Amino acid sequence: MDFELSAEQVAMRDVARNMLGERWHPDKMREAIDKPPATIPTDLWAELSQMGWLGVNCDEILGGGGQDILTAAILVEEAGRALLPSTFSTNLASAWAIENSANQAHRDGLLTELVLGNKRVTLAIEENHGSWGPDTIELNATGNDRDDTLHLSGTKLLVPDGSTADLFLVAARHDENLCLVAVDADAQGVTVNAMKRLDGADIVELELNDVAVPASALLQWGGDGESLLREVYSVFTVLIAADLLGSAEVTLQMTSDYAKERVQFGQPIGSFQAVSHRLADILVQVEIGRSLLYGACLALTEQREERHALVAAAKSWLNETAIDATEAGVQLHGGIGYSWELDVHLHLRRARSNAATLGDSDFHRDQIANYYCDRPG
Amino acid sequence: MDLLFSPADEQYRTRIRAWLSDNAGDLALIAKAEDPLQAARDWQRKMYEAGFVGLTWPKSCGGQEASLTQQVVLSEELAQARIPHLINGIALTTLGPTLIQHGTEQQRQRFLPGILSAKEIWCQGFSEPGAGSDLPSLTTRAVLDGDEFVVNGQKVWTSLAPIADWCFLLARTDPKAPKREGISYLLCDMKTPGVTVRPLRNAGGGFHFSEVFFEDVKIPRDNCVGEINGGWKIARSTLEHERSGLSGVVALEANLERQRQMAAKLKVGDKTALDKPGNRQKLAQYWIEIEGLRHLGYRALSDQLAGRPPGASASVGKLFSSRLRQKIAKTSLELAGPLAPVAKKSPHVIERGRLHAGYFDALGYSIGGGTSEIMHNTIAERILGLPRSTRDD
Ligand SMILES: Cc1cc2nc3c(=O)[nH]c(=O)nc-3n(C[C@H](O)[C@H](O)[C@H](O)COP(=O)(O)OP(=O)(O)OC[C@H]3O[C@@H](n4cnc5c(N)ncnc54)[C@H](O)[C@@H]3O)c2cc1C
Repeated sequence: MDFELSAEQVAMRDVARNMLGERWHPDKMREAIDKPPATIPTDLWAELSQMGWLGVNCDEILGGGGQDILTAAILVEEAGRALLPSTFSTNLASAWAIENSANQAHRDGLLTELVLGNKRVTLAIEENHGSWGPDTIELNATGNDRDDTLHLSGTKLLVPDGSTADLFLVAARHDENLCLVAVDADAQGVTVNAMKRLDGADIVELELNDVAVPASALLQWGGDGESLLREVYSVFTVLIAADLLGSAEVTLQMTSDYAKERVQFGQPIGSFQAVSHRLADILVQVEIGRSLLYGACLALTEQREERHALVAAAKSWLNETAIDATEAGVQLHGGIGYSWELDVHLHLRRARSNAATLGDSDFHRDQIANYYCDRPG
Repeated sequence: MDLLFSPADEQYRTRIRAWLSDNAGDLALIAKAEDPLQAARDWQRKMYEAGFVGLTWPKSCGGQEASLTQQVVLSEELAQARIPHLINGIALTTLGPTLIQHGTEQQRQRFLPGILSAKEIWCQGFSEPGAGSDLPSLTTRAVLDGDEFVVNGQKVWTSLAPIADWCFLLARTDPKAPKREGISYLLCDMKTPGVTVRPLRNAGGGFHFSEVFFEDVKIPRDNCVGEINGGWKIARSTLEHERSGLSGVVALEANLERQRQMAAKLKVGDKTALDKPGNRQKLAQYWIEIEGLRHLGYRALSDQLAGRPPGASASVGKLFSSRLRQKIAKTSLELAGPLAPVAKKSPHVIERGRLHAGYFDALGYSIGGGTSEIMHNTIAERILGLPRSTRDD
């Protein structure tokens, strides 16, 4: 029984907090709101690789950091705190997909490129159907066993970090089954149309017009691409939940600090219970959220039966926590909380964006209802 | 990171299950017993004799010196089997640890065996009409006169008072000292002349708590725990003696499961209450929150095992779990739809009136043992480090 971070995890978290604080400035996200989306410059990307953080969750034999999903989540949480573009979550979720693919060639070649930072890889999952998740996927991959080529056609939306990606892991239907297919950004028939998020983050629309890829581009998991996709979706989701936790926690901290300093009516505003009790409620939400996040990461690592439900729980809860925390941040700072200069609105924008990424709270509660309500007995 | 109990803990779990299945029959008898109080005492004694009471207490104090994880395993299993709380539960969680830490050898010898076996049932006389959340402002007076304290004053909301053999109370021994420095922790035999108990009916209709009046009640000086005027610190240390809360999680889980099964049976038109999307969302939300509380409990337990102080984190669990308990109870009632208000023993009553009892029961959780507002203050001040609100405590 040991359900807290290890000393190594705490040390890595502290290093990441310092490094990202020095090497990345939230102003870059602020500027991106009026300009093209924010992306990670090449030199910082190389540094992240040198730190061993790209593919940190992959097996050391394959060149990764040999750490578990929780360690990956800790890094993403720090990225959330630091307002770094979503690079860690896409990199780490993609790394997880490739590592767990049955496709030897991917594991040997691609993963090394990803860990070294030579190739930026992202996931293209969601389409324009008004909801989320593997069940909504329609994009078709056609071709048969004898034919050595797959043909993909369709449109993906909201693809994170798409404008800098060298490779897309595209979720598709193949023979009625779901699968992930690796598609090069410069393959014939691929069009990347820039989009932008509320928080200035880089997302794209990915159009595939009869793109031909070799059958070896299929990622599989024990011969079953569908379960690989569902597993990857959960890993990606839990990482976005970690990002949300980062936003919530840092905003709670900023707002508590402000409540200790700002004096009105002759006393610090934090002494007013209307202020302090709202912050205490946020703290409770954050602590429950952190507990759910750890539980979900551990369940994924251990492949426990309830892992997808726990991931849904963490995402559903942290969506609301991050929104509540950042909205409280605006309110409890007063006028300055509503200003462009303060970072609080950047976290609010990020929280709002991430809360609508890979499933909102209702969506995840529906997943849990299907898991819990309909069990026999 | 892992959530595994050791093989020894799992063996212990097996042992508890076996014992419970052999003995649970006795428990069913309590509900039907002519003298339910005697039956409840007998049940605790039986548990004690089997080694399941005072688990983490030192052997010299009648305990088992078992590990924290065994304590968790035991409380999980008891909650799972829906075993009601032990009749002397308040004394077992607060007074016992207080005596072990601060009592004299003589006090430990005299009182601990009776607490463990339920030979002597205890009530807690802390709250007063003028002192609830602001407990240190209590005014019940105790004046030392030779070898005895003479106590005058009133306590209120005292759970178990009519059946209690003894009361542990806080009384003011130095009215001139700052309010926290003039309080003593006393042990009073409820049969002492001058003690009067008047049961109070609670909002749910039950007789769970009482008023207790003290009129020139004589308490031997030897029944003061710790130093005279040193009672506040002692009381505080045991108010913080909170458990990891994992047994509460199992109980909440069982509540939700009963709710789910009830919803699956309740007809709404040609469907059931469980088919309504709004209800499904609520049940899913409670599932999430119970998992959140469970994993929070595991974190608290890990801290305890690693010797890190629990600090104010227990307030997080108390605030969150009392609120969750209330939300679940409220939804259970609302699921009954038009039949929700039908009283017990009336035709068409749902679940024999259990929903009403559960609802009122849940409401008390955010008042007793420190109100939710006070939990907010504690979290704000002790975890977030915010300045205290202006008040003179
Ligand atoms: C079921 C039950 C069992 C109980 N059993 C026992 C028992 O066995 N022994 C015993 O000694 N006591 C017992 N109590 C009493 C309980 O401890 C007190 O009711 C509780 O501490 C609150 O005190 P009060 O009732 O005087 O309310 P008050 O303190 O008067 O509070 C009234 C309201 O004001 C709020 N409030 C007070 N101070 C503040 C503040 N600083 N900031 C914000 N809000 C504030 C409170 O939260 C509450 O909502 C029991 C209570 C219940 C409900």
